Amino acid sequence: MTMNEKRRDLIQKFAALGSLSVLITVFALTSHAFFTTTNALTVALQVCTIAYLGLGMTVVIITAGIDLSVGSVLALGGTMAAVLIKGGMPVWAGMLVGLLLGCLAGLLNGLLVAQLRLPPFIATLGMMGVARGVILQITGGRAIAGMNQDFGVLGNGALFKRVTIGADGYPDIKFVGIPYPVIVMAVLAVVMSVVLSRTRFGRHVYATGSNHEAARLSGVNVYRITLSAYVVSGFFAGLTGIVLMSRLVTGQPNEGISYELDAIAAAVIGGASLTQGGIGTISGTIIGAFVIGILRNGLNMNGVSAFVQQIIIGVVILLTVWIDQLRGKRATRVRVFDEQKQVEHSDPPAVPSTDPVR
Amino acid sequence: MSTSQAAQAESRSGAHQAATAPLELLSLRGIVKRFPGVLALAGVDFDLRRGEIHALVGENGAGKSTLMKIIAGMIQPDEGVIRLDGQVRRFQHVLEAQEAGIAFIHQELCLAPHLSVAENIFLAREPMRGPFVDRTRLNADARVLLERLRVDLSPGAPVKSLSVAQQQMVEIAKALSLNARVLIMDEPTSSLTESEIDQLFLNIRALRAQGVGIVYISHRLGELQRVVDRVTVFRDGKHVRTSDFAAITLDEIIGAMVGRTLDQKFPRRTSRPTDERILEVQGLTREGVFKDVSFDLRRGEILGFAGLMGAGRTEVARAIFGADPTSSGTVRLFGQKVHIRSPHDAIRHGIAYLSEDRKGHGLALEMQLSANVTMANVDAVTGRLGFLRFADEVAAAEKYVKALDIKTPSIFQIVKNLSGGNQQKVVIAKWLFRDSRLLFFDEPTRGIDVGAKLAIYQMLDRFAAQGIGVVLITSELPEVLGMTDRVVVFHEGRVTGVLETGRSSQEEIIQFAAGRKTVAA
Repeated sequence: MTMNEKRRDLIQKFAALGSLSVLITVFALTSHAFFTTTNALTVALQVCTIAYLGLGMTVVIITAGIDLSVGSVLALGGTMAAVLIKGGMPVWAGMLVGLLLGCLAGLLNGLLVAQLRLPPFIATLGMMGVARGVILQITGGRAIAGMNQDFGVLGNGALFKRVTIGADGYPDIKFVGIPYPVIVMAVLAVVMSVVLSRTRFGRHVYATGSNHEAARLSGVNVYRITLSAYVVSGFFAGLTGIVLMSRLVTGQPNEGISYELDAIAAAVIGGASLTQGGIGTISGTIIGAFVIGILRNGLNMNGVSAFVQQIIIGVVILLTVWIDQLRGKRATRVRVFDEQKQVEHSDPPAVPSTDPVR
Repeated sequence: MSTSQAAQAESRSGAHQAATAPLELLSLRGIVKRFPGVLALAGVDFDLRRGEIHALVGENGAGKSTLMKIIAGMIQPDEGVIRLDGQVRRFQHVLEAQEAGIAFIHQELCLAPHLSVAENIFLAREPMRGPFVDRTRLNADARVLLERLRVDLSPGAPVKSLSVAQQQMVEIAKALSLNARVLIMDEPTSSLTESEIDQLFLNIRALRAQGVGIVYISHRLGELQRVVDRVTVFRDGKHVRTSDFAAITLDEIIGAMVGRTLDQKFPRRTSRPTDERILEVQGLTREGVFKDVSFDLRRGEILGFAGLMGAGRTEVARAIFGADPTSSGTVRLFGQKVHIRSPHDAIRHGIAYLSEDRKGHGLALEMQLSANVTMANVDAVTGRLGFLRFADEVAAAEKYVKALDIKTPSIFQIVKNLSGGNQQKVVIAKWLFRDSRLLFFDEPTRGIDVGAKLAIYQMLDRFAAQGIGVVLITSELPEVLGMTDRVVVFHEGRVTGVLETGRSSQEEIIQFAAGRKTVAA
């Protein structure tokens, strides 16, 4: 039986996985530089931002919420870290403050949603403006440049980098190494996946999103779960900020605009539902992040203009979600093994019924 | 294409056909429907005459709803023939069936709450004058339909201001506006009060007199005699018998449903009330909802909460459970005064509350059966560092699937895909998995078949015998009489009486529930 469920879980990711493999095949055929280790690592590095934000976003979306503020919060966290470090704070301490600022913003989001009962869309829309405004005000809208190279280690360093000095005296890079941000992504994705699927906290997150009232009446502390979800999202926004600024070795208060949409898109491509809580997985979101990342990278390599890229990415999001919904509908129908009326409401009568059983 | 043309042709010739048409309005022969792994209908027959109310009864999973969905065009049969007015029909779609005059009134009503009665009746078919809705005609047409139903409703009233019973009338009026000749009603009385049920029966008798054929699905066998002409019993996807209602006894019907004779609908009570008090409630008040509610619950006793819908039964239970706030009053649990502020608190004190609204408040429909069973007690399957112990969860789920005879292909089944009765059992399992000292069971047997009801009753008795406090909130008076030791009767937010069930009667409880009699508490 467990096998059955696992298979279903796999099929659930079929739409996203399918488009991912199609993309890889197409780009491998059209561009000889695409299917290389170096490019794979480049893609992974580019995907990090979306993936970090997506990890937090997934948790929030599962609770039937949304977090529009992450793009601004990452600018707040990352830039404040740069400001403090530039002002003499040790790099680790500044970055820690950046992370905590992210958590704080998330906590405020959570309070607005859980305590004041604001719709998540509105609460985080407000925070999107506030966080951006605060950091622009603090920096006067100017970038924090001339940072110490230590600040850049997290974003630019790599593990297992092998460099030899060639005969001509120039360094010869044997292996570019695994960038630290990619390692962080892999570790945190695994951690979050385990947290959501194998811990009590994760179970409560799904229960809260699936049926808030049923969870509350079952003794789940839905207030704390909601709060925690937004704090987690804020934490990942803060992390994204410091990694991104570190990569630029600059505090950039205008960074991250509209990144929240990439994160939402990644989660949605990966099967999370914006209309219904309790649905979504970390593995799906990571796949979604790679779909977006590979698409950008591959299209770039094929010389497709940035404008056309936007069109294509938009269409891919629509297609993936559409396929996913078709599949969802069919799966629901097949599993109606009993006589009762539980599933009707998910089958709007306007859709011509294609009976899978015949 | 051709089917819808046929449907039009038929509706045009409907009038003169009625004179010569056979007695059977609708006739089904040898209907087979398979779902993966399940034979839902194994070749059943079913007939509906013009101007009759035909009850279709059977336990959960007997195939009633599947057959009705086939008639209504929601699903297609694998084999079998459907005849409407003697003509073979095959409905590929709900709209085709609708056009042919078949209407399905679902248990859960689907109306647009912010639109008016008339707007709902003629939704998407509004009479137009040029580009605008012709409001005058809209309301006039609606009034005609409502009069035909003998319902006193203003066409302009917003649907959200109506009671459930009135909303149901709107649904029926909508069906009539589509010239429905076959009306399928699925558990129409499940959320109605006694007087509303009387009204509903008057209305559907009026429809019967107009020649409409009505299929009436209900688990409440007791009310069938008030309205039904014929009854058909299904069991395990098979047709067991069809009989004139006058020629069959209730016991025979139940016997046919379960395939054996149930000697009793209620088990013999084994527990005996003692003097020890589990729960003492004094002057509990929630402003505007209920006032000055006092009662106690003794060890070994099953205490009933009776009263009409909205009398405050559920509200009092929810308040004690911490789901809603209270304004004043005290609650003592095992002699200790307790302050319960949230369900979380209540559960820690060993109180369980099984909600009457299983979909809204009981289940996480998108989650697996196993996760729902452990939802109120995830701690019990959580190991160190907050990690879930899946083996324990599987064991717990398997235990209750077996104990409660939950019909599911797997404990990992998504709860949404279970039948209503089995969903209810999952909610019960959830609270059984949490060892509680005080249980509030709010309408635990609603929508559940006879066999499962008995199992739940036996469970309640066993709990009481074990010293667990049991409060049974129910709208069904036979349940009060059959199961409880004492009953607290509510009327408009107040307790009108606490009666010894053994010395009371259905009539007396109704008197108290209607507020015609009170005993100073």
